Amino acid sequence: KPILLHGHERSITQIKYSREGDLIFSASKDNQPNVWYSLNGERLGTFQGHNGAVWCIDVNWDTTRFLTGSADNTCKLWDCETGKNLNTLDVKNAVRSCGFSYSGKLLMYSTDKTMGHPCEIHIFDVSDSSQMSTFTGSGEPMMRIPISGSKITSAVWGPMEEYIVAGTETGEICQYDVKTGEKIHEVREHSKQIKDLQLSLDSTMLISASKDTTAKLFDTASLDHMKTYKTERPVNSAAISPLQDHVVLGGGQEAMDVTTSSTRIGKFDARFYHLIFEEEFGRVKGHFGPINSLAFHPDGKSYSSGGEDGYVRVHYFDQEYFDYRFEF
Amino acid sequence: MAAEKGEREGRKQRRSESAADNQADMTYEEEPDFSDPEDFVDDISDEELLGDLLKNKPNETDSIDNVIIVDNIPVVGNDRLPKLQNVVRKIYEKFGKLVNEFYPMGDEDKTKGAAEAVKATNGYKLDKAHTFAVNLFSDYDKYENVSDEWEPPSPKPYKDLGNLRYWLQDPDCFDHYSVIYEGGEKTAIYSNSVHLGAVRDPTVVEERARWTETYVRWSPQGTYLATLHQKGIALWGGPKFDQIMRFSHPGVQLIDFSPCERFMITFSPMPPKADEPQSIVIFDIRTGQRKRGFNCEQHAQATWPIFKWSSDGKFFARLATDTLSVYETTTFRLLDNKSLKIDGIRDFSWSPSDNYIAYWVPEQDTNIPARVTIISIPSRTELCVRNLFSVADCRMHWQKNGDFLCVKVDRYSKAKKAEDTGQMKYAGIYYNFELFRIREKQIPVDKVECKENVLAFAWEPTGNKFAFIHGESPRISVSFYIVRPQGKVDCLKVFERRTANHLFWSPTGQFIVLAGLRNLNGVFEFIDSADMTVMAQTEHFMATDVEWDPTGRYVMTGVSWWGHKVDNGYWLWSFQGRLLQKQQLDRFCQLLWRPRPPTLLSVDDVKEIKKNLKKFSQRFEAQDRLRQSTVSTELLEKRRKLMDDYERYRERVEDEFNSQKDRRIAFRNGVDTDELDNLAEADYEEEVIEFLLKVEETILDEE
Repeated sequence: KPILLHGHERSITQIKYSREGDLIFSASKDNQPNVWYSLNGERLGTFQGHNGAVWCIDVNWDTTRFLTGSADNTCKLWDCETGKNLNTLDVKNAVRSCGFSYSGKLLMYSTDKTMGHPCEIHIFDVSDSSQMSTFTGSGEPMMRIPISGSKITSAVWGPMEEYIVAGTETGEICQYDVKTGEKIHEVREHSKQIKDLQLSLDSTMLISASKDTTAKLFDTASLDHMKTYKTERPVNSAAISPLQDHVVLGGGQEAMDVTTSSTRIGKFDARFYHLIFEEEFGRVKGHFGPINSLAFHPDGKSYSSGGEDGYVRVHYFDQEYFDYRFEF
Repeated sequence: MAAEKGEREGRKQRRSESAADNQADMTYEEEPDFSDPEDFVDDISDEELLGDLLKNKPNETDSIDNVIIVDNIPVVGNDRLPKLQNVVRKIYEKFGKLVNEFYPMGDEDKTKGAAEAVKATNGYKLDKAHTFAVNLFSDYDKYENVSDEWEPPSPKPYKDLGNLRYWLQDPDCFDHYSVIYEGGEKTAIYSNSVHLGAVRDPTVVEERARWTETYVRWSPQGTYLATLHQKGIALWGGPKFDQIMRFSHPGVQLIDFSPCERFMITFSPMPPKADEPQSIVIFDIRTGQRKRGFNCEQHAQATWPIFKWSSDGKFFARLATDTLSVYETTTFRLLDNKSLKIDGIRDFSWSPSDNYIAYWVPEQDTNIPARVTIISIPSRTELCVRNLFSVADCRMHWQKNGDFLCVKVDRYSKAKKAEDTGQMKYAGIYYNFELFRIREKQIPVDKVECKENVLAFAWEPTGNKFAFIHGESPRISVSFYIVRPQGKVDCLKVFERRTANHLFWSPTGQFIVLAGLRNLNGVFEFIDSADMTVMAQTEHFMATDVEWDPTGRYVMTGVSWWGHKVDNGYWLWSFQGRLLQKQQLDRFCQLLWRPRPPTLLSVDDVKEIKKNLKKFSQRFEAQDRLRQSTVSTELLEKRRKLMDDYERYRERVEDEFNSQKDRRIAFRNGVDTDELDNLAEADYEEEVIEFLLKVEETILDEE
């Protein structure tokens, strides 16, 4: 039986576990990100202050700081424990993705390409108060990487704070050097927008979810394409199990087309694939709309999904899941 | 045939020549003024100057092109000659002024519209004994010049196309099917290897990009695959799907084969031309020759196929107002040179096994009842006539073996003529099924009535059962009836409250799929009609198509991009309704099973096989098991290899990962976060917190 986290009024945009897995952070198109106990689904608190849909969230490794990027053209840094807004970084346009570096000392966000402003990645040093001034608006970032070509729709830090991996609206996946701002590497394996990028627990592998109905597995450092997981719907999110050789994919028809498909036939399922054999072996039903974000608990014994229907569902795997083995 | 064609062309050419002559004359007259001065005396004759041109000057009387010879005019005495002359003159004056007539013992006649006159009156019956044989005089000339020595035409080099039926020799009896996807960009031929169980993808036989511009068709026995193009049609076949023949027919849209695969009829919406009909063309498949063209009204799509073939391919027929035209394929002319005149004929249908035609005519104003008639071709004898009253419409359904004909009669209780359109309006419609037992003596007819709206009807292809869907949504029922030999027609079962709008019998009978396609969202029921059990109730959301494979072992359900824009793909089911394979294909359009030719086994052979089915099935099951185990070994080997590759990869990256451990620890202030539990032990302190939950006071004893 899944635990339903019902606290959002609009569709979920992103969910993340804390490193220990005891907390789940969720963001939605309503303006208030929430934090929950993963064990029982009790809500711990909300982060109030945004005036627009919150597109992206991240939490640092020791769960002291929380980062949110919003369509209200700000990126906010919060104190995890108190829910207090520590800094507000003013941006020219909507913040599409954000993240803490491995050490939590650096943060980055990417911006939309709208209203005549280009798409950019900004990197800040959290401890440098000249960059992070609260009252005078944001200071100058430590690094500003202008993006030529199509806009970034998802971005994550690479393993050693050396580079950022970003996926674009047209399906390219690129690495940008943090120090120089140069594009180090680019691959084009997807034909449509990258909806989500997630790293494996040890950051060596990267899984991409794309609107072209596939998810693909890459080596993070070389961006070598290794595996492809095929579905028949746009994939909005994909995650790699930290425990088993499994991946989970979630997605579905876009909201505007939803009326043409039936929930009965389960296109809104979370779908489990074997990481290596690329074969689907299980599905979890539940959402009334597409799944927008998926995350594994760091211990790999449960996972959560956030959907267009506004719910976050926390699923604990049954014994059968752990007993199931592929023959080879 | 060729001679005829050459002749026609020759005639055409001649006509255009004379047109050119006229042109020359005109320009000659319109030359600028080169008049000689008045005192000039012309000492050169025209002959000398333009001798070559003048020779070509058209002359009504001496051009033999304009002379026709009419044979078979009755021989008469001198006294009756003027009378005969009058008759003949009358006939030919229609075509133009008669310049000269000459009646020797045979008769000769000259007209201006010579070619048309020949066309129209050749075969003209003056009376019973005398049929004119009309020819152009110039044709006499031509044929006189034909050399008496016959030269055999040099044979075309024979092109070896390989075994066109090779796919039937597949040791596993896998059937082929064609699939069009990516919105028509790609066409593939797959082999249905689905019962190998572990196989996930179909086996590709051939796949080509832009193989067809619209859709494809298999010929009725599966020998050829036809692809449609702007310029015409191409046929493909053989092990490599080489091009076998090309047929030019610009703008072709529709295509139909004769059941024997010898001829092909194609339709293109081209403007009709008087001398060269090109809307509908019949080709000979093996020679590629164009056999005949027909003109056609614009709404061909609605009634395609316009020409219906007899089962043996010897005849084809077409409906016109009050006539039924039957053509034969030996001459490509009307059978006995005339159509059948049937007043008010509305529809007709060939028996799928014999050269019988069933047709029906509605009621006539003067209280003549509506009629369903079965005639035999080519004798045109009536085998059976059935009179019907209060008929609004009829639909004819032959059973595939030609044993039975069912005519679904829509009958009315009231009819009114609409004042504005003049069309009949019917009220209180109810339905009759008139069942003709073709094989029984004198073709007895049974009747089954149905008060409800009938949505679909289908015969069991090889048996004596039929099914139909009736009722109003949502109270839809499906009824099954059996026509007992020499006996009654009995209702076997009525399935009530069903979601179905189409019926699909297995080609081998017994099993049937009730399908609710399109607006019924794609629900299916698999029914065994032997004991009327529902074997499976399933769904393929928004399915638009259902196709049984030719052996009746598999059923395909598909969501075609032509009908529905999302979730395109096809699913394969066993005949019991077990889902075997899901194949989602981007913009999947069409799946067609490759038909098989009729079985070579005799009825007795089939009986023998049915009797010993146990023995055979044991053998096949053993084969299947063997095959499946090899497939699963292959699969396991593949997985093993993938796993090995992956493990090698992991070893490499884990080495690298471990080598970076110090840096990681440095990044996180000396805390090792690689293992979840490390931290737990080091950092967690056990804290005991006591809560005061409730204070309760109980008085124990007053003392």
